[in-house]
Amino acid sequence: MKLEGIRNKIDKIDRELLVLLQERMGLALRSRKFQPSAVDSKQEEDALERMKRLNLDLVKSSFSRQLLKTIIDESKRLQDEDRRLVAFQGEHGAYGEVASRGLVTAGAYIPCLEFIDVFRGVEAGDFDLGVVPVENSLEGAVTQVNDLLTTTDLKVIGEIKITVNHCLLATEETDYREIRVVYSHPQALAQCRDFLMRNKLEARPYYDTAGAAKMLARENPKASAAIASDLCAELYDLEIIKEGIEDGPSNSTRFLLLSKEPCADRGDKTSIIFAVAHEAGELYGVLKLFAEAKINLTRISSMPLRSDPSNYSFFLDFEGSQGDAKVAEVLEKMEAMTISLKNLGSYPATKGGL
Amino acid sequence: MKNLKLAARETKQRTVINISDVAVGRDFVVIAGPCSVESEEQMLESARAVKSAGADMLRGGAFKPRTSPYAFQGLGLRGLKLLAEAGRQTGLPIVTEVIDPRDVSWVAEFADVLQIGTRNMQNYSLLKEVGQAGRPVLLKRGMYSTLEEWLNCAEYILSEGNPNVILCERGIRTFETYTRNTLDLSAVPAIKELTHLPIIIDPTHSTGRVNLIGPMSMAAVAAGADGLIIEVHYKPEEALCDADQALTPVIFADIMARLRPLSSFMDKLPD
Repeated sequence: MKLEGIRNKIDKIDRELLVLLQERMGLALRSRKFQPSAVDSKQEEDALERMKRLNLDLVKSSFSRQLLKTIIDESKRLQDEDRRLVAFQGEHGAYGEVASRGLVTAGAYIPCLEFIDVFRGVEAGDFDLGVVPVENSLEGAVTQVNDLLTTTDLKVIGEIKITVNHCLLATEETDYREIRVVYSHPQALAQCRDFLMRNKLEARPYYDTAGAAKMLARENPKASAAIASDLCAELYDLEIIKEGIEDGPSNSTRFLLLSKEPCADRGDKTSIIFAVAHEAGELYGVLKLFAEAKINLTRISSMPLRSDPSNYSFFLDFEGSQGDAKVAEVLEKMEAMTISLKNLGSYPATKGGL
Repeated sequence: MKNLKLAARETKQRTVINISDVAVGRDFVVIAGPCSVESEEQMLESARAVKSAGADMLRGGAFKPRTSPYAFQGLGLRGLKLLAEAGRQTGLPIVTEVIDPRDVSWVAEFADVLQIGTRNMQNYSLLKEVGQAGRPVLLKRGMYSTLEEWLNCAEYILSEGNPNVILCERGIRTFETYTRNTLDLSAVPAIKELTHLPIIIDPTHSTGRVNLIGPMSMAAVAAGADGLIIEVHYKPEEALCDADQALTPVIFADIMARLRPLSSFMDKLPD
C-alpha cells in the first residue's frame, strides 16, 4: 500500500469512529428512558475492566481507559442536557432525519429499523416524538405509514415538507461505468425509475436510503451504487456520481411529527381518518359538510381497510383547527354519518402545499 | 451515394434540432468554450465570457483523445459535473465529447449534445451507442475521410433511431504544414446538396492558428454553414491542451461582433 492509500484508510477509519460514537451517544440517551439516573459507577467500572481484558498491544490499557472515560463523561453530559428523543425510520442521513432536524431543534435523532418501531416506540414512551413520511409528490401515499396511522393513538403535532434531492452514490474505488446494481428504499427507487432505465441499472430494494449508503461504505459490493441524500455522501464517505436523479423536477415528501400528547397550540390544519358505510352517497354526504362549511381540503386519500378489503379508509387533511366552531360542528355531524372517525389532531401547517 | 437511406436529401425539408432555446439548422449557432475542462474557476470564467460575447452553447472536454498517452487525458466524471454546473449557471446547453461506448449513457446524463471526435468518426460501436442515447450528436468529420464515408457514419447514428445529427467539418490532412489541417469549406455546400442534416464549421482545429480563426469563421458564414464551434479559454496561455489555438474572450467577442451582421446580411440575400 502506498502512503496515499494508507492515509486514505486512516481518514476512513477516523470517520467511522466518529459515526460509531454518534450511534453510541444515541443509545446512551435512550437508556435514560429506562433508568432516569445517569450515574451507575459500578456498571461503568465493570465496562472499563472488560475492555482492559481485550489486550490490544497497540492500544495500551492506560490509553483505552482514559479514552473510554472521556466518552462516558461526554455521554453523561449529553444525558443531562435533557434532549428530546426523536425517532425516525432509517439510518443516520435518511430523509427522515433531515425532516426530524427541521421539525425539532436540538433533539437527539434516533434511527429505527421500521416505521412500526417509530410508532410503537413513541406509544411506549421510549421516544418523545416520532417523524414519519405520509406522502410524496411523485409516488403518492406511503402506504405503510398511512396504515399505521389508522391504528395508532398518537397525535399529529406538526408537519414539514422536505425537498428530496436523490443522489447516485458509490465508493471511491467503484468505476461508475461498471455500476450495474443500485440499492435503495423502494420509494426512492420508484422516484428514479427513468434514470435507472436510461442507464440500464438494476434496482435492488433495501430497507432504507441511508442504510443502503452505509452498507455500500462498509461492504463495497462489486458494481454497486446507492440512491440516498447528499448528507449520506458526507456521512459515509461516498462519491456523488450524479445529483438530482429523480424523475420529476420537484420531488418532495411530507413528514408528520407524532406525539402522545396533542399539540399545545391551537394549530391551523387538521388531519382525520374515517370510514363510511358502503352505500350510495355516503362519502358525498361527508364531503358536502366540508363544502357547505367552506373548509378547504388539502389532502384526500383512500386506502382499503385491512380488516375489510371491500371497504375503504379515507384520509382527509383540511385547513382550520378543531378549536374553530365550524370545524367542531362538522366533526360532530360526521360522528353520526361515519362507521369510524379518528381525529389525529390539529397542528401548525407548513407554508405551501406538497 | 448509395445506402444513405436516412441521411440523403430527398426533399427540400432540412433537419432542425431544438436544444433548449437554440434551433440548429435554422439559426446560426455558435458553440464556444475551452478545449478541456480543467478546473471550476477556468470552466465558470470561460463559460461566462463566451455567454457575454453571445455564444449559444458551451463546449468543453472531460474525456480527451490525446495523441500521446502522457498528455492530459481530461478530468472524466468530475469534468462532466463542472461542465454541467457551468451550463446551469450560464443557461448555455452543453456540448462534450464522448470517446468510450461505456461512457455514453453517463455523458448523456450531464450533456445536451454528444460530440464524436474526428478520431472516432468511424468507431462504429461508439456510433451505435450514441444512436441510442436520446441526445443530439455532433459528428466531426474524420481527418482522412471522404464526404461519403462521413455521411455513412451519420447513417449509423440515424439508423439506431436518433434523427438529431449535426455534422462538423474540422479540416482534413493535406501536404500543407503551415496550418494544422486544411479547412474544406466546399464541404458546406456539398453536404447541403447531399443531406438534410445541419453542418457547422470548426475553424480552430482546421487552422490551428489564432489569426486565421476570424477570417475562416466569416468565410463559413458566407459558405452557408449552420454554425461554428470555437475554442475559447479565459487564459489561453495557461490552458492544459491546445494552448496556442484557443482564443482569448476579447478576440472571440470581436469575431462575434463581426459575425452576427454578416449572418443577418446573408439571410437577406435572394435565394
